[in-house]
Amino acid sequence: MNLTIMSLTARAMLGRKRVLMLLPMPIILIGLTLIGVTSGASDAQWGPVVFSSLGISVILPLTALIIGSSALGLEIDDGTITHLLTKPLPRSEIVLSKLAVAWLVTAVATGVPLAAAALIAGSGTLAVGLVIGAAIGGLAYSALFLALSVMTKRPVAVGLVYIVLWENILVSYVSGTRIFSVRQHATAIADSIGNTQLIDASVSVTTALVMAVIFIVVGTVGATQRLRSFALTGDAN
Amino acid sequence: MPDTGVIHDIGYQRYEGPRLGRGYAARSLYVHGIRSAYGLGRSAWAKVLPMGVLAFASMASLILVVINTQLPTQVIDYVGIASTFTYAATVFVAVVAPELVSVDLRSNLLQLYLSRPLRKSDYALTKLASLATATFLLFAIPMLIMFLGMAFNTDSGIGGVLDEVGGFAQGLVAAAIHAALLSALGLPLASLSGRRVFASGMIIALFLLTTPISGALQAFGNGALADLGGLMDPSSLLNGVDQWLFGPGIGIVRTGDFGAVYGLVTVALIALGTYLLVLRYKKVKS
Repeated sequence: MNLTIMSLTARAMLGRKRVLMLLPMPIILIGLTLIGVTSGASDAQWGPVVFSSLGISVILPLTALIIGSSALGLEIDDGTITHLLTKPLPRSEIVLSKLAVAWLVTAVATGVPLAAAALIAGSGTLAVGLVIGAAIGGLAYSALFLALSVMTKRPVAVGLVYIVLWENILVSYVSGTRIFSVRQHATAIADSIGNTQLIDASVSVTTALVMAVIFIVVGTVGATQRLRSFALTGDAN
Repeated sequence: MPDTGVIHDIGYQRYEGPRLGRGYAARSLYVHGIRSAYGLGRSAWAKVLPMGVLAFASMASLILVVINTQLPTQVIDYVGIASTFTYAATVFVAVVAPELVSVDLRSNLLQLYLSRPLRKSDYALTKLASLATATFLLFAIPMLIMFLGMAFNTDSGIGGVLDEVGGFAQGLVAAAIHAALLSALGLPLASLSGRRVFASGMIIALFLLTTPISGALQAFGNGALADLGGLMDPSSLLNGVDQWLFGPGIGIVRTGDFGAVYGLVTVALIALGTYLLVLRYKKVKS
């Protein structure tokens, strides 16, 4: 880890107006939780809609996609990555620093609103579960999208295909593919700790943990390897 | 020392040939927009995603033809294709819309375009038209495949083919509505950011975040609130319009008696999106 790289990345990510893009998501989450609590519907009826379908399935991957692919992707886009690469730093240190910042921002931006929503719903254990689920899921997503941003010129396009076509559509038709779906891992972890009607998971916790670790390791190692032989080419439109 | 410099007339000539004008420039930009939406004339990587989504949709439609002809009843019709593929089309718009406008913003190409006879509103409307056409093709090509498959498989001669033509025409109308709404929502958002990352993020956030809201309203709202819940997100809205216009082929959305409201909201959103896009380009310095 390198504190200079981390602080520069954090400033590039949070110091601009575009950080406001992250604001609508928590507002919608809390708003729907309030509607759910006051609607008088049973927990099993509204909980999964808000916590799984919205919280872990949309807000977590979307935040991670934007943050994760811009942590290193913006530098590659602008060409400032050359400054980093010419410094006498191991490539793994660059990747790990970028990943750490992306993870921290994602985990805070999703974990805090999710925990707040769970507390409004009156389940303290679910709050803990969601924070841990968002942290582990956020790390897996960040590692995946960080690796994508080094490997392709269009990390967001590939990431969107993964989030929308793979995790949303394919998983609902071909159930076996769900073990490669990070959102299912995050849901399983949150469910096993939270243990309430408000959320329900479809993969086992052990599978979830093992697969999440695989995602994290493969993403980080992949990004590092790719950055070792990185060739800066022109903007291929 | 000579006091001032002189420009000698060494025979500079004015251009007196034909000038192709505003319409020609807009047409060129339109064709260029459709080509770049599918990555034609660009690197192989630029083609992968749009072409991939199109190939995926075409293959799905081919499979549907086989299922339709093997089973006694038709499982899905042309309008059904428009409703089912909306989800894939949102990804397509989120990826392609930034390609059309963000790159121009980021590399300051806009000033070059505007130094031609093209006006600011022409630029905005042309880009919108190319995105809408590209999205329309994403629906229309799978429908064409289905039409060919079904028309060749018909048992009732020319009457059967004419039935298919009618269904195909309905499908194309639905495809046009879907393409118009998705582009009118996506392009104004994309034009806010010169970075593809953030432009795509904003568009997909609009499509993905609104889905659970309408899902929630339909799940635990009651009466009129549940019937109107589908208005909250673009894909339910479009499915509601399909059901209103072409009858309940596949009842995905609860619209109740509010079908006309869905139609009105769609038209209003298309107009609003177009207006905001033109307004956004009014502010550009040229």
